[in-house]
Parts: sequence; structure tokens; C-alpha cells
Amino acid sequence: MARRGVGAFLEIAQYCLVVMAVAIVEFYSGGFTGPVLFGRKLFETGTPGDFGPSNWTIGLVIYAAWVLWRAMGSTTPAGAALQQSFVDRTGAPAGFARTMVRNLTKFGAVYAFPLVMFDGNQLLWVALFVGCGFIIEAMHRYESPWDIVAGTTLVANAAKASPRSSGALTLSDLQLSGSRQAQDRRAANLLRLAGWVAIIVSLLIVWVVFKEAYVFVSDQDFSFGLLNIEGERKGWYPRRGLFDISTLLIGTLWVTGIAMAIAGPVGLGVAIYLSEYATPRVQRIVKPVIETLASVPSVVIGMFAIFFVSPSLLRFFFDDIGIFSIVAAGIGVGILTIPLVASITEDALRAVPRSLREAAYGLGARKITVALKVVFPAALSGISAAFIVGVSRAIGETMVVAIAAGGSGGTLFGYDPLVPGQTVTAAMASLGAGTDQVAGSGLAFQSLYFLGALLFLLTLALNVISDAIVRRFREVY
Amino acid sequence: MTSTKPEIDSMVGFEDARSVVTQAAGQEPAAAAPATDRAPVFEARDVSVYYSDFRAVTNVDLTINDNEITAFIGPSGCGKSTMLRTFNRMNDLIEGARMVGSLTYHGIDLYSDDVDPVAVRRRIGMVFQKPNPFPKSIYDNIAFGPRLAGTDENMDDIVERSLRGAGLWEEVKDRLKTSALGLSGGQQQRLCIARATAVNPDVLLMDEPCSALDPIATGRIEELMLEMKKDYTIVIVTHNMQQAARVSDRTAFFTAELDPNTDQRTGLLVEYDLTTTIFSQPADERTENYITGRFG
Amino acid sequence: MVAITTELRRQLSVKRSSDRAGLVFRSLLVFSLLIAFAILVAVLLTAVTRAWPILSERPLDFLTSKSSQDPSRAGVWQGIQGSVMLAAITAGVAFPIGIGAAIYLEEYAGDTRFARFTEVVVRNLAGVPSIVYGLLGLAIFVGNLGGLTGGRSVIAGGLTLACLVLPIVIITTQEALRAVPGELAQAGYGIGATQWEVIRSVVLPAAAPGILTGTVLSIARAAGEAAPILVVGALTGVFQTGTMSFLEQMQGFFTALPMQIFAFTKQPSEIWGAHAAGASVAILLVVIALNSVAIYVRARLDRNLRK
Repeated sequence: MARRGVGAFLEIAQYCLVVMAVAIVEFYSGGFTGPVLFGRKLFETGTPGDFGPSNWTIGLVIYAAWVLWRAMGSTTPAGAALQQSFVDRTGAPAGFARTMVRNLTKFGAVYAFPLVMFDGNQLLWVALFVGCGFIIEAMHRYESPWDIVAGTTLVANAAKASPRSSGALTLSDLQLSGSRQAQDRRAANLLRLAGWVAIIVSLLIVWVVFKEAYVFVSDQDFSFGLLNIEGERKGWYPRRGLFDISTLLIGTLWVTGIAMAIAGPVGLGVAIYLSEYATPRVQRIVKPVIETLASVPSVVIGMFAIFFVSPSLLRFFFDDIGIFSIVAAGIGVGILTIPLVASITEDALRAVPRSLREAAYGLGARKITVALKVVFPAALSGISAAFIVGVSRAIGETMVVAIAAGGSGGTLFGYDPLVPGQTVTAAMASLGAGTDQVAGSGLAFQSLYFLGALLFLLTLALNVISDAIVRRFREVY
Repeated sequence: MTSTKPEIDSMVGFEDARSVVTQAAGQEPAAAAPATDRAPVFEARDVSVYYSDFRAVTNVDLTINDNEITAFIGPSGCGKSTMLRTFNRMNDLIEGARMVGSLTYHGIDLYSDDVDPVAVRRRIGMVFQKPNPFPKSIYDNIAFGPRLAGTDENMDDIVERSLRGAGLWEEVKDRLKTSALGLSGGQQQRLCIARATAVNPDVLLMDEPCSALDPIATGRIEELMLEMKKDYTIVIVTHNMQQAARVSDRTAFFTAELDPNTDQRTGLLVEYDLTTTIFSQPADERTENYITGRFG
Repeated sequence: MVAITTELRRQLSVKRSSDRAGLVFRSLLVFSLLIAFAILVAVLLTAVTRAWPILSERPLDFLTSKSSQDPSRAGVWQGIQGSVMLAAITAGVAFPIGIGAAIYLEEYAGDTRFARFTEVVVRNLAGVPSIVYGLLGLAIFVGNLGGLTGGRSVIAGGLTLACLVLPIVIITTQEALRAVPGELAQAGYGIGATQWEVIRSVVLPAAAPGILTGTVLSIARAAGEAAPILVVGALTGVFQTGTMSFLEQMQGFFTALPMQIFAFTKQPSEIWGAHAAGASVAILLVVIALNSVAIYVRARLDRNLRK
């Protein structure tokens, strides 16, 4: 069994070093106030250079992070320095959770409880720490209470296997050095943590959006009649308590329809050209262009819509059209959707096996016949998936509509796409941009989340459908 | 003392696996190789390997000796590669793979809980079917292993020694810092051999090391193997019977047969003997059929 | 005999004119390609011509001036500052977590139910409209964690954008990791490397160009996004940034280039339009530069693979 008392001395030494480092940094940085969490100051450094209690707290936070880091490798900061680590009863390396149970038990028993008792008198605390070290060292034959609680045992790490020992092979030659083992475990734990953060972020979105949407729906002022107003005042004016969803849905339908009328054919054409006709040289030129188009920010396209599409293009067809209109927004969204449709469609076309094309060419088919009669039908499901994703993107596009469709305060119900209007997303943007005013005014703020939930469900459904199509299409080949 | 008859009988008794075990228990461990003065490196006793429910190799008994070249031959799917990969626990990387039976390395149970597969692979190197140098410089390829394991030796010395050992030093000494991917296939494979030897292993496992190479490159690798025999124990899996006959001291013939219990094909060791014996007077009819080209 | 050869020659000689349908089809395809080209050119030209009053007179002054009520003195310095800080926070948060999660899913998780669940969630999350992420930011980073982030701050905005690009980073990193040949990892294990050592020294270097491409593109995406930070509370009006400490700046009001473009387009007068266009030119330059980096990296990757 490894000697533990040494570890206890080392622990306090490490901690004091951290505290001193904090004090030094504080001195040179001029001091600062820590963040406020849940209405309470987390810590405050006090007067710069003053070796006060705050340094101990900051040091504790840093040391705790260090402990967590080492616990991922089944050891502690002191243990790592002494080449020791924890194993569980079976002799396997102790997991992160087990190591932390052990550390926290020890912290509570030896460090935290006396810290409270001594009312922050760090000198007494350090004395106790050192005393504990002596006791633990004296009793190193016996398992410590916290090790018993957590079911851990401290062991010395396996020695580094020596290269090709001349003598007989021993078991330790077939064991990994403790530091590499710890490093491997720590990496695995950290990566698992990252995976969990990703999942938590994902679930948070769903939870937050639907929780607030539920607040909207369950409010006593709310009735479903609000969502579909009959009569003169039909429209979406959340700040006046008018929540006619159909107004927004019609706007969304127009914008999406116009967008897909542009992005569909153009995207498809570009994709077919790229996959069936273009030489590699042409591809090398065209692809970056499409990618650049894909990366143009939507606000820029919004600007393009009101500075070019409306005045120069739409005026040509409709004499009395204003700068802001649903059509202009739809065209802008269409431009943004072209690269998406093109790239997914191209992937679908490329997924069609070469052998299928060659079979058709072998029968003397022309290029157009191969493209339209062989490749296109074979890739049809992938292409429809691309269109669905395009629709989903068009529905979710915000800034182009917020800029080009006008109607920022609200919109009256109507079917005419040549006048200003709003979509679900644009309505959210105008609500969100003014959240300061909205905050106190009843349902308006929650209606933002209601729209968010609606949007979320809509796009999720579309994505699930396209995913299902793509998966079926993968199975064919 | 080279009578191998009883041993072969017990191996053939696959149809009733239990009888193999009882027989083996009764006598000396069954498939122990013919008598030799060399020390055993690996001793496999009743080893079976499973991939989930599928039994890839069944009840193999085999002893591999120090500083010898042992060849595993047999038709595709007979489990010879699987068997090779149990020696350095590469199968651990495959989800659902597990080994049953006992496999010792210098007397230490390779599959004991105390043994770390990573440390095992440092002592038991591996060369793969397709040359797989890292997309780094030649130097960094060789230095990769020693850097991880840690070493007191000068890295330049290790690189030179390993490359000389693989007969590659003269060809590449002026371009150690260039990409290893610029080498020819045969050079790449010798680089992989050098890379495997850089960490000072005592066993080299080679999984069809020449199957992707042309005859000239193959010849060089074979020469190299014969040369390296004095420093290393080598186990090689090969499809090429001439190669086995040319380089190996002992040959194990595997085949795949239908397991009546599970209705699946599974690999089993048919015969294990001195290479000269296997190729001149095989004891088992299946070995003879395979060697003479009537099967597989 | 001669007759047969001429007949054969006639049949074998492809006459383009006879394939009229093919020609029309091909022209249609080229036409659609030209539309895409024309749009890009028109966008760039519109931005530059509209911004000409500014670009010709005070290009540097425009970039380095703070916001102001006076159009002749107003600039986008605060927006640039905000965008850079947002991008830095986004990269700092989303890259480690996203790349880590992707490595975990590809190399460690195996084919467990958790892994499959995460895959599905991440893939669908990538399709959620960006403004919905704004709602998440508003509720969590501005609301619940307001004490830490300072409310409507760069930190809250950056964290929101990090959530937005997280699925994209995960997916592109996964693809890059999958593209690394399994033999390389095998080689690493064969020498006696631990799983982490194989990932760090073999898999990640081989996947680095792919990962880099994905991350650079995701940063370009984040830099151009306005909807989420609009909801989180980037400012559209004039505001002062004085001599604040770094922490105060991180926790204080902020704006970003896309937000400023949005604000400028809301102004009716011609000169504010020029500001919108000028800011658009600035952001286009940044985004196209990032994009070119990604394209260049990928091209190099392709060359390396071919070698």
C-alpha cells in the first residue's frame, strides 16, 4: 500500500502554492471583482496585494478544478505527483465518480468542516491539515475512512515497463505506466463530458422553447380564438394582443413558395451540371463560387433585396410595388437556398453508382437520356430530400425577411405578396429586437416562444422526413 | 520423438469439441509443437475466439518458439488472421470480440486482468497486410513508438538502427524528413517493419505482409525476415504456400469447417509441425489436399 | 465494302445538331449556373456601388469610427469589435466541445443507444432555424445565467452562437474523422499506443484539414448570423463604449456587424443605405476570406490524399 501521509502534506503545499500564485496575479493585475451568480458575489479579491481570505477562496476554486482534472485519471493532484492512483475493490482503476466521492468525503471530513468551525482562520486550518497528514501517515497500514466510504485504495502506479528487459519477463512488463494510463482515462472522460454537453445543449433548446411556449398557451388571457381572429382586426399585432397565426403562416407560405420556385430549378440545374457535365476543371471553378454564395450572410442578401431586387428587378414587372414586399423577401430567401439545394442534390446524384451510368452508355444512350432517364430517377429520393431541406431552410430564414418584407410592428391579414408582410421568423425577430419593451407586457414576450416552438416543430418534422427519405435511399444502393 | 500422430488425432476430433478437451487433459497438452530445445514464447491452450455469437476460431492448441518463424497458412476465412491477432490482443479493439481458453506469453497469462493490451502490443509488434505508414516523415514514423513509450536512447540512433534492421537505411538516409508516403510499396512495408521494431519488441506478428507487394519487394521482405529471426520471434500469416515453405521453421495449417452445433463455419487448426514435414509428408489428408492444390 | 465503311463512319460521327434536345437541356443547365454566378456578382456589385460614397471618401474612417447619429461621422468600429469578440467566444466554446463530442461519438461511444440518440439529436439540431437558438440564449444565457454573463452581453451572444454552430462542428468533425483510414489507427495500436495516443498522434493529425475546414466555415457562419444575437439583445442604436475594463466590456452592451447592417437598412435615408452597403462589403470580405482559407485547406487535403 502506498504511503498516504506524504500525499496529505503535498496536498496542502500545492494548495498554498496556488493561493500564493493567485495573490501574485492579483497584485499585478490590480484586483477585480468576480462574477455575480444567482445574485451573490462569488468572490472578491479585496485590496490588491492584501493577502486576505478571498485568495483562499479563489485558490480553492482553482485547486478544485485541478482535483477534478486529476480525478478523471483516478488520482489526485498530490497522488499524480507521487505516481499513485486509486483502484476500487476489484483492483481496477477507480472511475471518475468513485474518485470524486472519495475526494469529497475527505474534503468534508478533514477540510470543509473544520474550515467552518474555525471561521475562516486559515492558519488553524493549515495546522489541522498538517496534523491530519501525520495521523494518516502514522496509520498508513489502515484504510482511511474516506477510502472505506468510497471503496477505494491508494496504490503506487505500475512502473514504466523497461525496454526489453534482459531477465525473465515479469507481469509488470505487461502493464502500462501509470501516467499513460491516467492520461488515457482522463482523455476518455473529458471527451465523454464534451459529448454530454452537446446533448444537454440540445435538450435545453427543446425544454426552454416548449416551457415558455406552454406559459403562453396556459396563460389565463390566452384562448385559441386569439390565434385565429375573425373580423376587421384580423392580423398579427402582439403588442396590441392580436395573435392571428394564419397571417404569419400565409406570409411564410408565400416566402417559402417563391424561394423554392427560384432555388428548386436553379439548384437542380447547377447540381446536374456539376455532377453530369462539368469537367473537373470547371468543377474546381464552379464549386467555390457556389460555396461563396452559400456563405454570404443573410443580412447582406436582405440588403441586396431592398437595394437591387425591389427597385431594379421587381419595378420592372410591377409598377407600383414598394421597396418592402413579401416577393422581394421570397426572392432573397430563394437566393440563400440555392447553394443548399444544389449541394445536397449534387451529393444525391453522385451517389448514383457509376455502373448504372455505364450500363446506359453501353446501350448507346445519349448524355441527356442518361441524366434524365437513369440518374435522375435513381436519385429522386435524394433530390426530394434536398428540396425538403431547402423548404425547411426557407421557413427558418429570418433576417432577409426581417429586412426586405417590411412590416416590423405587425401585419394585417392578407393574401397579396406584393405588399409588406411578415413570416413566423420575421415576427420573432421584430418581437426579439424589442424585448426590452416586451418584457413586462403580458403575452407578447411568451408569444415569441410560442412561435419558436411552432417553427421548431415545423422544421423538425421536415428534417425527420428528409432524413427518412435519405435513409431509405441509402438502402437502395 | 517427432511422432505427431496422436496430436493430430485430437485436433481432428473437432466434431466433438469436448472430447478434444478430455483427450488433451489426459495427455501432454495436445498440439504442443514437436520437441525442440527452444523456449516457448506463446502457449495457446484450447483457444477459441468469438465475434459476438460467431465463433471464428475453435479450440486451438499451439506453441510458438523463441527465434523461429512460424507460418499460418490456410484458405480464406479459416481464422488464421484472427488467431494471429489474439497474440497481441488486437482483437480487443473489435467490439464484441472475446477469447476463451488460455494463452500465455513467456508463462504470463496474456488475457489476465492485470495485463494491459497496450503494453502487450509494445512487446509484440505487428505488421499489417497493407503497408500503412503514417502520413508523416520517415523519421517521425520510426520515432512514433519510442516517443510514446519513452526511451533513454538517442532518437537518431533508434531511427538508424531500426531502418538498418529493415534494410532500408541506405535507401532513405538522405531523405529521412520527407513524407513516408513518397516511398514505394515495398519500401513502405519495410518502413512499417522498422517502425514495429523501433520499440524493441521481442515478437513480430505479420499479417500477410507481402500480399500487396510485387515479387521483388516480396523477396526482399522474405530475406529480411530470415535475417531478423535471430533477434525476433516471428509469426506470419500468408496465403502464399511457397512463401511459408521458403521462410518458416514451422507451419500451422488452418481450415474452416461447418460446426454442426451452430451451423456456422468456424476456423480450426488442422496440423502444426515442422515446415519440412508439413510440406513433404503431411499427416492430415486436408493438409495434403490444400498443399497440393486440390482444395482452397 | 466501301459503302459499308462510309455508312459506318456516318453513324459513328456524332453530329451535335442532331442531338437538339441534349443541346437545349445543356443550355438550360448552363443557364441556371449563370443565374447563380450572376446573383453573386450582382450582390457584390450592389454592395460596392451602394457603398461607394463611403468607400471612396472615408473607407478607413468608416471602419474605425464609433456609431453616431451623424452619418458623416458614424462608423462600424463597435460592430467589428463585437463581431470579433463573438467569433472568439464562439470558437473558444464550440470548438473544444464540438470536436471533443465528435471524437467521443466516433471513437469511444461505439454503437450504443446513447450514441445513436446523440447522432439523431445533433443531426436534427443542425436544421433548427438560427433564431430558435436566439430563444435559447435569451432564456438561459441572458435570463438564468445573467449574473455570470452580464445579461445582454457579448458573452451571452457568443455562447448562443456557440450553441448554434455546435452541431455543425460536430457533424463536420465526425465526417473528417470517418475519412481517416482505419489502417492508420491500427498501425498506431500495433505499436503499443493507447487509445488517446492513437487519437492524438494519428487520427487527429490526419483529420486536421477536414476539421479545420469545418470549423472555419462554421465561424464564417457565426460571424454572419444576426437573428440569434438580435434576440439575445445586440443593440441596433447608438451607444457609447468608453474606457471600460475587459470584463466590463465582455458583460456590457454590444453590437455586431450584421446587427449594424440590419439597423442601417431600417433607416430611410440614402446615406444610411450606404452605411449598410459599406458594412456589407466589410463582412463580405471577412466571410469570403474565411471561405477561401477553407477551400484552400481542402484543396491541399485533396492533393495530399492523391499523393
